[in-house]
Amino acid sequence: MKGLMERMNPLIDELVRVNEERAAAVLVTVVDIQGARAVKAGAKCLVRDGKIQAGDLGHPPLAEAVLMEADRRLREGKSKLVALELPASGEKAEVYFDVMLAPPRLVVVGAGHIAVPLVKFAKQMDFQVTVIDDRIQYANRDRFPDADDIVAGDMAEALREMPITPWTYIVLITRGHKYDEPCLREVIHSSAKYIGMIGSKRRVKACFHRFREEEKIAEEIIAKVFAPIGLDISAETPEEIALAILAEVIKVRRGGKAESLSGR
Amino acid sequence: MDPIYEQIKDLLEKGETLAVATVVSTRGSTPREVGAKMAVTAWGEILGTIGGGCGEADVRREAIEVIRTRKPKMIRVDLLDDISSDSPAVCGGIMNVFIDPWWKGDEGAHGENESAD
Repeated sequence: MKGLMERMNPLIDELVRVNEERAAAVLVTVVDIQGARAVKAGAKCLVRDGKIQAGDLGHPPLAEAVLMEADRRLREGKSKLVALELPASGEKAEVYFDVMLAPPRLVVVGAGHIAVPLVKFAKQMDFQVTVIDDRIQYANRDRFPDADDIVAGDMAEALREMPITPWTYIVLITRGHKYDEPCLREVIHSSAKYIGMIGSKRRVKACFHRFREEEKIAEEIIAKVFAPIGLDISAETPEEIALAILAEVIKVRRGGKAESLSGR
Repeated sequence: MDPIYEQIKDLLEKGETLAVATVVSTRGSTPREVGAKMAVTAWGEILGTIGGGCGEADVRREAIEVIRTRKPKMIRVDLLDDISSDSPAVCGGIMNVFIDPWWKGDEGAHGENESAD
């Protein structure tokens, strides 16, 4: 145990890093505990990416309960004092979960004419924005001066390598279904908060049919995808379509009720 | 995102023991929400805020005690009985504030760190 602790970076260093990287994490502090002699009030750990990244509670069953609760807190997005009970031992602990949220990230796959206004609008709404396209003449700084990250390379591959979190919103607007589909396949099982895909009703239906029949992807997974993408505002120009897409992203982020083109 | 950790790190690296006070639960109308934090040095200097006049002086006093004993403490800041005082910061709620000592080399598991006592 001691050796492991020495290898770990000090808690404060990890906290500073979380801040710098604007990562999502939970600082867990035991405020009160009864029955467990190994743990004292003030014991702390930092949970990031589902793991204890720094600090040590010195009590594996408590750490396990803490990891589960930290995940819940992160999803809810709120810091909270929680009473935990360890079922095996009956020990009770008051544990405070300090939630640090990551900014939402919009991943725009396909750097065509809709992507340009979409990136511009999203940057005004505090999204971190990543643009991906396999064509360097589209995926570049001149075209997207506001984007946080621009990836020029195979789109499905780029998605596979990208960390996707419950704060990631993915917009698939490539130049054709030939490209949208492999990208969707890459992310459909991810924890992304939102996945939208462009395309006519007929194209989308055909794509979902293939997913169901050939790839045996479950209906409830397919049902998470917003396709055709965007809110139903009869958008026509690239700017209007970008607005309809971003409005749908905001609807999902904030839990709104406006009607989507996908009928949701 | 909280810039306070950067400042805490600097102080810890200088070998100081700090007390970090965090609002962990509230009831009624309070100046800051759950998660508000302030750090207090052994000399009573304050970084961050948990709501100005409303109870902050009490927390600061307790924090200095926590630094001395290196034992964390939960305190209840009652902002209800302040009405008669001439403090401008009458809020009317209750905050539970956890005050926790931090020092270099302490990795959270206070239970394994007897030598620090």
